[in-house]
Amino acid sequence: MLLTDIARRRVIFVGGKGGVGKTSLTSALALARARQGARVLVVSTDPAHNLGHLWQRAVGNSATLLWAAGDGPGRVDGIEIDPAATVDRHLAAVSETMTRMLPDRLHRAARAHLEQARDAPGTHESAVLERVAETLELGLDRYDLVLFDTAPSGHTLHLLAMPERMTGWTEQLLANRDRSERFRSAYGALGGTKDTSDRDAELRRMLLRRRARFSLIRDLLDDGDRTGFVLVFVAEPVPIAESIEVAASLRDLGIVLIGAVANRLSPADLMPLRRARENTLIADLSLGAPLTRIPLVDEVVGLPALEAIAAELTPAP
Amino acid sequence: MSSSRWAAFLRGLNEFYAGPYRATLARAQRDEDDHFMLVVLAESLGVPDPAAYHTVELLPAVYEDFHAWHTRIGMDRSPLDHISCC
Repeated sequence: MLLTDIARRRVIFVGGKGGVGKTSLTSALALARARQGARVLVVSTDPAHNLGHLWQRAVGNSATLLWAAGDGPGRVDGIEIDPAATVDRHLAAVSETMTRMLPDRLHRAARAHLEQARDAPGTHESAVLERVAETLELGLDRYDLVLFDTAPSGHTLHLLAMPERMTGWTEQLLANRDRSERFRSAYGALGGTKDTSDRDAELRRMLLRRRARFSLIRDLLDDGDRTGFVLVFVAEPVPIAESIEVAASLRDLGIVLIGAVANRLSPADLMPLRRARENTLIADLSLGAPLTRIPLVDEVVGLPALEAIAAELTPAP
Repeated sequence: MSSSRWAAFLRGLNEFYAGPYRATLARAQRDEDDHFMLVVLAESLGVPDPAAYHTVELLPAVYEDFHAWHTRIGMDRSPLDHISCC
């Protein structure tokens, strides 16, 4: 039972091809858990945010209340990650440091340099990862469950691979700093002098802070007891083919797939042929996780629609 | 032989043996620092840097050594249009 498997964990990533209903399923899962008394944070990493539309609320870069139980602790809060705002904030902080550390004549050059970093190829996704890290820290601190409504598969797999890669990157640079430091002290022991210790301490401090953060996310992703992935698809050949590939990639990344959801199944009474075809497609599908079937819900906007989906996820009492 | 001349002789002896090693160590450290500088400045030097978001925060700490670096690697003038250190 999908909801039971989710209730045991702290962090769930919901992913799949574009347009298969990830946001509505994520929201319905959040609502179902909140009805059980959990405090749930829903975070959208998809640049084409739908969370606000779905809940009919203005949702932004910080936590906004989407639903609260009349009595009891259950609630759903939402965040739509805004990478551009994160890049702005980051570059403003670096710029401030530069202004403090560098002589006046270099200020203009330093700012021009920062603008180049803004447009560099990986900057956008680094900013998303940074916000994912921040929302994870917030989520583990104040919520029972964090649900990530992710961008279409390719982006998400890339995002999930980043913490491991970036931990390696900071480790290489720290090893470089270690070697430099050892050569410097050996040089000093032989009577040479060259004092760059302030600068090196500063570099090391920044790299250590980054590494701590990257390895925190990496360890969380690696921990199948706390973290899981839910794969959503519609019962059509192309989304199913993509789901098989995503399931394989998740295994390579060491991320546990806890459930697959065949979403928007056609109504058997109105479209019997179509439903029969869908049933055939998912009958012998093996993604290595239990399959949940969700029927098509009309007009997926607003609380009633989410409640209809949540009801499909909740076992009858 | 007076003690001060003896001390000077010892210093010279020490320099004779330690000097070459010191130069080697200084060069090894410089190679490590150059590598680091290249990583941090990659984007400006035209090498796409997927980690630019993170390298840029290391920049303030290496910026001041930039002039020494580009003259040492054989570029008389700053290779970066927007860094006019000389």
